[in-house]
Amino acid sequence: MAAKPGAATPTYSPKLVGRSRLPVFKDSDLDWSRPDGRGFHQCRPALLQTGAVSSASGSAYAEFGNTKVIVSVFGPRESKKAMTYSDVGRLNCNVSYTTFASPTLGQGTDHKEYSSMLHKALEGVIMMETFPKTTVDVFALVLESGGSDLSVVISCASLALADAGIMMYDLITAVSVSCIGKSLMIDPVIEEEGCEDGSFMMTCMPSRYEITQLTVTGEWTTPNINEAMQLCLDACSKLGEIMRDCLKQAASPSDE
Amino acid sequence: MEVDREDGRTPNQLRPLACSRNILHRPHGSASWSQGDTKVLAAVYGPKAGTKKNENAEKACFEVIWKPKTGQIGKVEKEYEMILKRTIQSICVLTVNPNTTTSVIIQVVHDDGSLLPCAINAACAALVDAGIPMKHLAVAICCCLADNGYVVLDPNKLEEKKMTALAYLVFPNTTLSVLPEGSSVAEGEPVEHGIITSVTHGVMSVDDYFLCVENGRAATASLSAFFRKNFQQSQRDSSKAG
Amino acid sequence: MGLPDSSQVLSTEMEVDAFRRIFPLRFFERHLSESLRPDARPLGKARDTIVNLGLVSTADGSALAKIGSTTMLAAIRMEVMTPSADSPDEGSIALEFHMPPICSPTVRPGRPADAAPVISKRLSDTILSSGMIDLKELCLVSGKAAWMGYLDIYCLDADGALFDAALLAAVAAFSNLQIPVVALNDNGRIVAITGGKDQDNASIIEKKAVNKEKRKLTLNNIPFSLTCILHKNYILADPTTEEETIMDTLVTVVLDSSDHMVSFYKSGGTVLASSSAIKSCVELARTRAKELKQILGEMDID
Repeated sequence: MAAKPGAATPTYSPKLVGRSRLPVFKDSDLDWSRPDGRGFHQCRPALLQTGAVSSASGSAYAEFGNTKVIVSVFGPRESKKAMTYSDVGRLNCNVSYTTFASPTLGQGTDHKEYSSMLHKALEGVIMMETFPKTTVDVFALVLESGGSDLSVVISCASLALADAGIMMYDLITAVSVSCIGKSLMIDPVIEEEGCEDGSFMMTCMPSRYEITQLTVTGEWTTPNINEAMQLCLDACSKLGEIMRDCLKQAASPSDE
Repeated sequence: MEVDREDGRTPNQLRPLACSRNILHRPHGSASWSQGDTKVLAAVYGPKAGTKKNENAEKACFEVIWKPKTGQIGKVEKEYEMILKRTIQSICVLTVNPNTTTSVIIQVVHDDGSLLPCAINAACAALVDAGIPMKHLAVAICCCLADNGYVVLDPNKLEEKKMTALAYLVFPNTTLSVLPEGSSVAEGEPVEHGIITSVTHGVMSVDDYFLCVENGRAATASLSAFFRKNFQQSQRDSSKAG
Repeated sequence: MGLPDSSQVLSTEMEVDAFRRIFPLRFFERHLSESLRPDARPLGKARDTIVNLGLVSTADGSALAKIGSTTMLAAIRMEVMTPSADSPDEGSIALEFHMPPICSPTVRPGRPADAAPVISKRLSDTILSSGMIDLKELCLVSGKAAWMGYLDIYCLDADGALFDAALLAAVAAFSNLQIPVVALNDNGRIVAITGGKDQDNASIIEKKAVNKEKRKLTLNNIPFSLTCILHKNYILADPTTEEETIMDTLVTVVLDSSDHMVSFYKSGGTVLASSSAIKSCVELARTRAKELKQILGEMDID
């Protein structure tokens, strides 16, 4: 009863001193390495796991380097009362961050932009007509943000949807690429995202070889875009394999 | 040895009680309850049709709105709302008015310690005034544990701050109209010895807690008597007026 | 009154799952009379408990606690504040309990769960009043600077006994907490020092270091809690969500490591008649506290 938590006392986090911060990237050549020692065209190791949340219809946990995400899927369940009748199902997406997700003190809040991007990426792949009148809720929580958050969220969400048994045309995989100077880096970490000249994110259905969403921001030349697209398609199909294996693994013990 | 209290009370002595009912015109039931300088107004609206979302429609539903003396409601008030709601749910007969919502609004007039017990007593009186079907009354009391191991009842704000530990306890009233189903009447203990709600702050030994419960339970007898006298009084008044 | 009879008749020919949904209370009572619970636990036994430390790299201390499938992630971040005038040599702790929509089907985005602020308040009451943390240890420069610990607990999966799991995660996060190395600079502000590899750093440390090395908090009297359901004459320890919704008399007992009672929390529910019931709850909490102490003790060795 002694201390009053949050009683409007201003606080600050102690700043680092004495460390001469290396400029992470020099523009010119290719003789610098990425912060985690990866090659430019190498993705972070992906750890995927289904069934992370017992109370959800389906869920998945994804860990790509320092990026850690949980996605829960609820439903199909009754739509909100205010909604009118609909022949096809509805999809409701929400992405939020924990207060300790990023190293700088941020407030854990809903991320409106990512929520709508997640919705757009998923709506093309879910067979909405299989659950008329009802809603499927896809909720994501970013436990720790380590770069390429949205693409991890999207891939993880598709795994959670599969775990929930929601009918889909294919799995969805998402990969992003950063352009810094002349070079392209796949699956950027947060430091790289901080100093990128342009970002590129693709979500696709690996088996059908179709793209559901493509986001390009910043400065890009045409050959670079082509290269980035090839890189992403290749990485997406590989990620698709990993996700498929993860689902198979989750299903196998029950067969015995 | 006696514990000195600033206002000259003995440890087990309560502050003067006052209760008046039917003081507001618009709500279906209302009451004001004061213990010393602590005063709380309670108003009851309902039962109104329909329950809130996520509530069981087969039972009557209660909502509690806590209005502090000044300012916005925070976590403390939210906790009080939840405790009050659960307490009311346990003393009311929920199956008589299924699929309805009854709102209980608590307005703090002045806080001088033992606020939550005072609010529970006020809510209870207001529910009686509104004619909400109840299994029995609830009487609430605050017990404090002083440094020297003595139990002090119904502390004011100053005393609350000095104490090592305190417990808010709610007991059922002495006579029961309906025996609650599933209540365990074990080892010959009468049901009114049971605890409806218990909230504690601060560290105490297990034995001290039992001491608090015992002393609190003893004091509720006089609170119960006060309740009954008050209700009989007002009934007589209204029949005279009628 | 026709209900019990009809359930009796139906039960012989109904599938177990259907019976569980239609007559949940009967279903449970049938189990209880055999001194067993649907998940094969004896009545007084808590679910398997796992604690993992230091999972969040961005926090100064973190822990993940799992009781059955109830999962809590707690993380502490330390910041510097100016202490208040009445307690110039004390730091403080700000605790927040979050229930994000991923944790339970009843929580929707934009509408926070009713239970979250209440659990939040109970947790901070319990932790602060238990005296587990000496706030004086969080002091840096008396009257000028002290640590403010922001403790955020996220419920990742809600399956009953939320308070117990959250308290366990919070305690474990405190045991994992490493207070960063800091020094006072010329402007009177506190700055962090990394490792001390550079020579500049070394000199700063020598001159002004307030906190010479990463240190841990000493935890006295660690609180451990156990939630029980009281139903008729049965006492069920560590309930799941299903059990909590069917039988609504919940009692939470918090005992600290020196066997004192930090909290006895019961809000509403059926009247708990005998003090023997309270005593058995306390007894169950006592054994549970020993169990949890052992689990936490194993952590410290690693």
